[in-house]
Amino acid sequence: MGPALLAVSTLAAPPAFSGVADAIALLVVLAEFAMLRSALARTQVRLYAFQSLCVVGLAVLLAALRHVPEAYAVAGISFLIKVVVIPAVVLRLLAGVETEVAGSERLKVASMTLIALAVAAFGLFILEAVPVTSTLPVAALGLAMAAVLVAFLLVILRADVVSQAIGFFALENGVSVASLVLASRLPLLAEVTFFFDLLVAVVFFGVLVRVHHGRTGTLSTEVLDRLRG
Amino acid sequence: MLLAILVVPLVAAVVAWWGPTRLAQGATVVAGAATFGLSLALVGRAGGRSQMALGGWLRADDLSLVFLLTTAFLYALTAVFAMGYVGRRHDPRYSRRLYAGLNLFCWAMAVTPVVNSLVEIWAALEIASVVSALLVALDDTDGAAEASWKYLIIASMGLGIALFGTVAMYAAGASALGPAYHMAIGPLLSVAHRLPPGLVRLAYLLAVLGFGTKMGLVPVHTWLPDAHSEAPTPVSALLSGALLAVSFYAILRYFQITGRAVGYAFPREVLLGFGITSLALAALYVVSQRDLKRLLAYSSIEHMGIMAIGMSFAAPLAVVGVLLQVLAHGAAKGTAFFGAGSVLAKLGTKDLRLIRGGIGVLPWTGPMLVLAVLALSAAPPFGIFRSEFLIVAGGLSVPSDGVVAVLVGLVVLAFLGLSWWATRTMASPTPAGGSTAGATVARGETSAWMVAAMAAGLVALAILGVHPPSALSHVLSRAASELGVGP
Amino acid sequence: MELSVYTIQLVQDLMVVGLAPFLSGAISHMEARLQGRRGPRILQPYYDLAKLFSKETLVPEQASWVFLAAPVVAFTCYLIVPLLIPELTTFGLPLGYMGDILGGAFFLALAAFSISVAAAETGGPYAQLGSSRAMTFAALIEPTILFVTFVVAIITTTDLPYAEAATARASLGQAVRPSHILAAFAFFLAVLSDTARIPVETHSSTLEFGMIDEARTLEHSGAAMALLKWGSAMKQVILYVLLINVFAAPWGLSSTRDASSVLLAIPIFFGKALGVGFLFALIDNSFSKLRLFKITEFMAAAFLLSVLAILILYVGHA
Repeated sequence: MGPALLAVSTLAAPPAFSGVADAIALLVVLAEFAMLRSALARTQVRLYAFQSLCVVGLAVLLAALRHVPEAYAVAGISFLIKVVVIPAVVLRLLAGVETEVAGSERLKVASMTLIALAVAAFGLFILEAVPVTSTLPVAALGLAMAAVLVAFLLVILRADVVSQAIGFFALENGVSVASLVLASRLPLLAEVTFFFDLLVAVVFFGVLVRVHHGRTGTLSTEVLDRLRG
Repeated sequence: MLLAILVVPLVAAVVAWWGPTRLAQGATVVAGAATFGLSLALVGRAGGRSQMALGGWLRADDLSLVFLLTTAFLYALTAVFAMGYVGRRHDPRYSRRLYAGLNLFCWAMAVTPVVNSLVEIWAALEIASVVSALLVALDDTDGAAEASWKYLIIASMGLGIALFGTVAMYAAGASALGPAYHMAIGPLLSVAHRLPPGLVRLAYLLAVLGFGTKMGLVPVHTWLPDAHSEAPTPVSALLSGALLAVSFYAILRYFQITGRAVGYAFPREVLLGFGITSLALAALYVVSQRDLKRLLAYSSIEHMGIMAIGMSFAAPLAVVGVLLQVLAHGAAKGTAFFGAGSVLAKLGTKDLRLIRGGIGVLPWTGPMLVLAVLALSAAPPFGIFRSEFLIVAGGLSVPSDGVVAVLVGLVVLAFLGLSWWATRTMASPTPAGGSTAGATVARGETSAWMVAAMAAGLVALAILGVHPPSALSHVLSRAASELGVGP
Repeated sequence: MELSVYTIQLVQDLMVVGLAPFLSGAISHMEARLQGRRGPRILQPYYDLAKLFSKETLVPEQASWVFLAAPVVAFTCYLIVPLLIPELTTFGLPLGYMGDILGGAFFLALAAFSISVAAAETGGPYAQLGSSRAMTFAALIEPTILFVTFVVAIITTTDLPYAEAATARASLGQAVRPSHILAAFAFFLAVLSDTARIPVETHSSTLEFGMIDEARTLEHSGAAMALLKWGSAMKQVILYVLLINVFAAPWGLSSTRDASSVLLAIPIFFGKALGVGFLFALIDNSFSKLRLFKITEFMAAAFLLSVLAILILYVGHA
């Protein structure tokens, strides 16, 4: 009668780097789930800033633990663009807009969460089917895939301009996580070009919000229905 | 010469941004012609080996040349067409933006096939995508704003997926080439058989889905009809004829590597699935379309579907057909969009139900538009007839009769749709008056430049159809064998 | 002095029975202080119980014997569950092997069920409303608890609460592994819901329309009411034990049968429990109650966390 009875075989804990990478990737996905249901545009933007900060943290961690100095550059540029500039600019653009994005959900929040969960599970299982080499944090990779897929849902299930823009930005974060954990030495060119795309998207977003909101008084995309067929 | 292709359009873009409109027009035409001339010279020099420049940073093998030639040809045509298109609007800001954008867009597309790294291919396409989104928004209308927003978001997300694919391929390559390497195509191909198959498959799937978004494969095509129909006509022509093609080029690079790594059955099946759905959906939409430029846009999706199906046949003949189709489709779609642009400029509408008597109103453009549409629907003697014939013949030689039957059936359906609208709108008698748009407009062309561009496109199509130059034929067949498509 | 394992078992139960009202009192005291009120005495729940036991017990006319049996059944269940979970010791006690986590969950469910049946017995509209709502939301939070159990089962290959606690204690890597933290957080949300806390329910409200769990006891009185109140305080302790000693902070338990270390584990546990209680009081004060139909969103969030925990554990061993 005593401690010996408890000697059960346990699943080994992941190594430190994987564990932290997994946790960060998890935060990225959870932030997206929160975006999916948030009623306020500013909340979405702040969640995006938080999500980007997680990615920056992952880059710094990678640079320090895996000795990838390029990752510091990625972290620095990401911080400047994704944590500071984009959220600030988007919040500023939204400052003059009175309407909110609440009610743009095409489904009820609980149903959206369950669908997103199923999609995220799909993403995780795709990656599970790929026999990736052993040293990689598989869960982080699967979660990056899940983040990409949930970002698609954000664009599809929320019919407002802000969610669509934020959905694209969040997708970029998911891809960033994947590239950090899977190919940390991928030439910087890719990241930088994608940032260019992000910035152009912000400009477009600004023009669209001003024009669209000025014309229709909403942020909804339901009125963007001239082109079909 | 490769280096010149890198520089010339950029110079033109700079000149167009800072110079006066006249100079911009001249510079663009010169740059377009120069790029086309350079790529022709490269085709002439091609001898089965890849031509390198800048210490291996640029690389042109036969596969690259096909796509470079397509882009450069359309670049030159569009430059000529734009002389007429812009000539009638006296807005220096508009023309400055259009010209700078056009040159930059063409630069990115011309660079895509000649950079020697999968990362750079992705980056060049990304730049092309962003610039073209800006160009789509150039006509400051509701429709253009909506179309460009959709295009930007969907295409960017597609490219995000493609970057994921690139990352996966990088990781796969890292297992053979070391953790830090430049994703150059040659080395990747030479170690392809040692790459981990799971990751390569994943990378290929993501790349097809991601670049397929840009290429217009169903179900990720949704931005395409909107962007093509709302963009300024020169941009529509480039989007359809060149951008879709270079996106296809990116997919083909992944196809090549994946085929060597895990065998060709897997990449073929993926393309077959996307191809059949694209072709089927596009053929149905072509039949029921009401908007001239959207009609042409769906025809692009149809052709991309045919190319994807052609790649899925394990026959070198079909692959030669696919590559020829890339060239021919570029020329035909460019010409058709130019015609549509002229009709739009003349009659002020794109609504197929309102356009009547096109030949009567536009004595040159009208017949040439009919010819271009017939060429698009694979009527002889134009290039697409030859290419689709090769694809079908290749399919029958494998044999995959079932797929070929579906292919031919759907192509005939699209043919009916296209030629029905072409003859109805163009070859009908000029109406005396009433609700149709042709009634109130005087007979005559808008601009000789626009007519010249169309004529050049048709001539090229006829050359491709009747007797392709032997140098080009060699490039095509060598490119097909580079793709490694044996049985 | 070495205590026999059976004595320790007894001490465990006595602790839950005896100190449960104290924990409730302490939490409401903290809550009042956070709101700037003086609040009730910490020992107030004991006085309340004493008062209720001295009052007569009234039974509605239509009600059968179930109405009076239910509080006893529930109280008994709450007496049994503490035998199964690690409260004071790191090593398993003999009766601890009677049932695993699911066993404990069954007893808790049986208690909830009997209370709901008794509420339905009365024919009182509010009690019946509470009964049906409580069963609905119990069904919605149940999957979360199941998935949390699965996480434990995958990590430890058993579903003994003792084993999970031992695993978390064994290495920091296990304690901070993402799936463990997610499961702990999901369980935290489940505890919020099961102890009738904001954002699911205002536990101290007197507004019948917002009630879920509390509405079920509206028709009870006297000793039966006392047993129900006492039972719900015990349930709170039990859930805290699971949250603290299995997931969040399984440290400070006695690893020997030595009397002093076993008895020392009691104040240590209550220290941790007061910390959790403070957190709950903070949540009570900083969030508002969700509308009834929005509660599904809360449940969906808890479910999301637990499923993600399972997924990353299963797919990536995270």
